[in-house]
Amino acid sequence: MDLLEPTRQAFALLLRGDPELLQIIWLSIWLSFTAIILISPPSIALGVLLAKRRFPGQRVLVVLVQALLSFPTVVIGLVLYLLLSRRGPFGSLELLFSPTAIVIGYMVIAFPILVVFTVSAVQGADPRVYETARGLGASGKRAALTTLWEVRFGIIAAVVTAFGRVVSEVGCAIMVGGNIEGLTRNMPTAIALETSKGDFAQGIALGMVLMALALGVNIVMALLQGEGGLK
Amino acid sequence: MSRALFEAAGVVRRLGGRRVLDGIELSVERGQGYVLSGDNGSGKTTLLRILAGLEAADAGVLRFQGEQTLLPRYPDEWRLRAVYVHQHPYLFHTSVAGNIAYGLKARGEAHELWRRKVEDAVDWAGLREVLAVPPQKLSGGEKQRVALARAKVLAPQLLLLDEPTANLDNDGRRRIVALLARLYTEGVSVLIACHDREIIELPGVRRFHLEDGRLVPLG
Repeated sequence: MDLLEPTRQAFALLLRGDPELLQIIWLSIWLSFTAIILISPPSIALGVLLAKRRFPGQRVLVVLVQALLSFPTVVIGLVLYLLLSRRGPFGSLELLFSPTAIVIGYMVIAFPILVVFTVSAVQGADPRVYETARGLGASGKRAALTTLWEVRFGIIAAVVTAFGRVVSEVGCAIMVGGNIEGLTRNMPTAIALETSKGDFAQGIALGMVLMALALGVNIVMALLQGEGGLK
Repeated sequence: MSRALFEAAGVVRRLGGRRVLDGIELSVERGQGYVLSGDNGSGKTTLLRILAGLEAADAGVLRFQGEQTLLPRYPDEWRLRAVYVHQHPYLFHTSVAGNIAYGLKARGEAHELWRRKVEDAVDWAGLREVLAVPPQKLSGGEKQRVALARAKVLAPQLLLLDEPTANLDNDGRRRIVALLARLYTEGVSVLIACHDREIIELPGVRRFHLEDGRLVPLG
């Protein structure tokens, strides 16, 4: 198979700013960003709670969240499909094959990543942080926020990892989004579709954007860690 | 009427079946310095942490300015009066001044007020020359001085210091001892757990030895 010609076409698409390509890229980033913004606060709060407090059912909750981490995204997509489909319990909301459905799917996928990373970051924090804050007169809530601030690079890593995971996710997005052009077609679903049609140029162009995005996010992470010092 | 600022009575702490603290009786007067000596593992740190409300005791009574609590309950407002400084103090990932200001901000002090207090504390602890250095890059002695300034700036009624000169070089030790001597003269009640002879022999200091879970006054 000749790879040079589709690669040349892919560069041409990117360089001339093909409107369809840009629309797909924008939609992917926007949906991923929205999902991460919405799901991060509750997930991080739950992570802190699981790391700092002991309560009945905590172990079960941790196991459930960890199990969710290893769920195939296509299964998450299937469950959401059944819930959102016309005959499902939330069918009346008419969310299936909409950008909102993809955002919900992304939130479900990002949730365990954010929780597990936060638990790990907070549990890895120096126990003297909370104690020092409390000893200096901080309330329990302020001391918890101070702990979170001290492990902020771990939390940023959680958010970046979750973003990287959802922006490249394909199974759930196809199932609940339907890969509708101009509405729910994002980078991974477009790559899958165009490749199946034998049109490699757009797939290669979007693949390069995805890889550049992943690289960019990791460079930002490395710079942040460089300034703050990895613990 | 007792002259005591702070009193502990019958404080008991069991760890692994052993009574580390076995009925501690202690009375701290206003503006008085105390040194607590004892072997490693004798319970000095545990006692200080209990008095600061950072560790639970199994039994005992604490009285602070006439108010009383039955351990393990420790009133939150007492944390504003008694401040504990760790043997290896943790400095937050902010500036030296940010560390010193932490407790003042947590107490809701006005910006102008805490800025002035932090400036004074920086001069008191001789930290002016390291203000721009990230706290994590300070030497052990400098970290300990930041921690002391961070505690002292809160004007606590009781300062609990855990081995403030442990693992410091001669210069670091000398500067900490000088600050402690100043604290005594500035009317702060200080209880120091340490082995350092120079601190133990500071003039005007009352000495206790912790042995078999009990406090024994020394001459």
